[in-house]
Amino acid sequence: MAKRTFGYTCSLASLTTILVASVSLPSLAPAQGRGPTDPGVRSGAAGAGDPIPGLTDTERAFFEAAKDVFAETDAVPDGLGPRFNLDSCLGCHSQPASGGSAPSVNPQVAVATLAGARNTVPSFITADGPVREARFVRNPDGSPDGGVHGLFVITGRSDAPGCNIAQPNFAAELARNNVVFRIPTPTFGLGLVESTPDAALEAALAANAQQKRTLGISGRFNHNGNDGTIARFGWKAQNKSLLLFAGEAYNVEIGVTNDIFPSEREGNPACQFNHTHPESPTPLVSEGGASPAAGFQSDIALFAAFMRLLAPPTPASATPAAAAAASPSSTTPSSTPASSTVVASASSVLPAAAGTTATAAASSTSATSATVDRGRQVFANVGCAACHTRTQKSGGANVAALSNVTFEPYSDFAVHDMGDRLADGVSQGEATGREFRTAPLWGAGQRIFFLHDGRTNDLGEAIAQHASRGSEANQVIQNFNALSVNDRQAVLNFLRSL
Amino acid sequence: MRRLLQLGAVASLTAMLASALAAVLAWRYGETILPFAVTSAMPDPQDGRVADGIYANAYFGLTYPLPKGFGEGLAGPDPSHSGYYVLANLVPQAAGGGMVLIAAQDMFFDTPHRDLAEAASEIRDTMAQIEGMSIDREPAEIAIGRRPASRPAWRIDFNGVGLYRAMIMTEMRCHLVSITLTARDPQEREILAQSLDGVSLTARRDSPVCIRDYASGDQLVRRVVPPDIMPSPTPIPARIIIGSDGTVRHVHVIRATNAQRKGIEQALRQWTFRPHMINGRAVEVETGLALRSGGGKVTSTD
Repeated sequence: MAKRTFGYTCSLASLTTILVASVSLPSLAPAQGRGPTDPGVRSGAAGAGDPIPGLTDTERAFFEAAKDVFAETDAVPDGLGPRFNLDSCLGCHSQPASGGSAPSVNPQVAVATLAGARNTVPSFITADGPVREARFVRNPDGSPDGGVHGLFVITGRSDAPGCNIAQPNFAAELARNNVVFRIPTPTFGLGLVESTPDAALEAALAANAQQKRTLGISGRFNHNGNDGTIARFGWKAQNKSLLLFAGEAYNVEIGVTNDIFPSEREGNPACQFNHTHPESPTPLVSEGGASPAAGFQSDIALFAAFMRLLAPPTPASATPAAAAAASPSSTTPSSTPASSTVVASASSVLPAAAGTTATAAASSTSATSATVDRGRQVFANVGCAACHTRTQKSGGANVAALSNVTFEPYSDFAVHDMGDRLADGVSQGEATGREFRTAPLWGAGQRIFFLHDGRTNDLGEAIAQHASRGSEANQVIQNFNALSVNDRQAVLNFLRSL
Repeated sequence: MRRLLQLGAVASLTAMLASALAAVLAWRYGETILPFAVTSAMPDPQDGRVADGIYANAYFGLTYPLPKGFGEGLAGPDPSHSGYYVLANLVPQAAGGGMVLIAAQDMFFDTPHRDLAEAASEIRDTMAQIEGMSIDREPAEIAIGRRPASRPAWRIDFNGVGLYRAMIMTEMRCHLVSITLTARDPQEREILAQSLDGVSLTARRDSPVCIRDYASGDQLVRRVVPPDIMPSPTPIPARIIIGSDGTVRHVHVIRATNAQRKGIEQALRQWTFRPHMINGRAVEVETGLALRSGGGKVTSTD
């Protein structure tokens, strides 16, 4: 049986898929010499990674057991590979706490040669870049692919003697413009999302339909093909449940077969070292531990439970970094590399999208709170909140702490046409190659990489990328560009408060 | 809204060159979306174009001379599954001057409204709920378009965080057409509003009559079920024009994959209806229908 570990849920697309270059939106753009600046990753307490408040002692013990399994690392005897992207869930989902998104130091670089492995690190994987999975858009015969192709193989590892399979030829596929990427999605608060009835999501989507009409926005849900209900997890809302989400990631990202995905993706018998089927089954004998119930659960059931019971991220009313950016005199253009300025105190261990000066970091907290509040209002007025819906409400759940909770994911969980610039050409369920789920913005303040493929760590750039030919967001971005620098700055500050 | 639909047969005059197909997405885009079903020379709602400083839409019989210095901005998305169209995004080619969004919602796929006033009121209430948004001008009836073809419209002005907007909405040929003006100050908004004085609407007496749910009633004589090409929990919207002889003259599959579209078009062209009579005369009918995979049922999988 595989050691308890978890796979991340990397999802999405590519630097190479940018089909339409820069978008010119001169219409309402104020004449200016500089623009707003992303305050960078919010400093201070993580405000995430804890269980949702209100769990019983039994539920909390279950959560802690699941959290431990989420952090475990798999080796080949546990089921790792033969093809994989990383060897643990936590490796991908660790920023700013367990369950989060890609960390500042990419663990994929180290795992490439761990235990004697001889993998070449693909060019799109860098030490300070996002954790990524790679998908090929087309098969060699031109038919649609869209599937994940593991970055690494176990060839050369000391625990995989005799296995001699090769990595995909990523350089060649990149040359063909055939590779798109996805990064891990944060999993905080997902139990609330899972507990939200379809009818509640539909009502929330319909509630501001009239506002959407003034903005060129429509949107729709990605439905599960089997039962016709709303799927809501993953970059394209392609996964129906957290259990499915976990099972797919365990198999696709780490290579561990499980109860939902029992088939080995790489058939070479010389590379099969774990002969249980699946490699991570549901145990029939308890593995013990503080939670008796957890001892009888499969890895994927525990991964799902961990995500289900994770609390939503806690927003901040103010941050030092936001304070820095709130002062026009202390900001630098977003194009300025972070290294050219002194990064504000507590953010020093994390890359900032743009520099903020130490002097500016001393700005008053009250001013920062004001700009965050202003930013929230601007965010709603220009139309961002038409899709990044602030509140949703869960329905009844077997865990009381998840029942009938109003929460603030800043997402409608619908998919929208995001235009040529973000299109990845991969269809999943009903979502086409141009459609993506509205990315929940809770926790955005402490995320390092943005958009499905992690193409930027600059919030301002992430916003700009929403506009391109065919995008439902074009009007909103035009509205945003029409704002004063201070108001655009307030939006960035607000987003970094989440 | 049935009443509105009955009223709402505005015209499209000349059969404009049918859609210059969004030669959508080549090699890269796996599942190609072909929103423009071209089954005849009849124009469809999304076929409007800007040429020589004028936005012209043959389906709606609408022309709009752009404000000075304006041109087309980024194209909007394909028509949606709910029958919503971004018809034109008009922006100044230099800084300043505001922007104009022309959109349409197919009323066959919309929540029915009693009348245009109710639809305007609903928009007003939605906007008023946004924190910091204020209503500058309560919904009021105006006229849009030059006489004699001018038609009633409703205007609502609102503003928030320094963006001054006006929404003008009217009903044209089975659709709720909206024009949203956005500016940085009220004066700029008024300049944009004045530009709408140049809107020209062309009425056509023989426009099809818009009737909601016409294809599901007793008037349907022959129904050919589209092939079960791909399971689609989301209904696929289609719009058809039924000739005075009861045959389907035009099919517009609003949003579907290429494979779905072909199958649906072929099937719908074979549908026949009893002629719709008004004052003893058979007339053309335009209606919409939402198709699920399997011709009406969600295909289940084991």
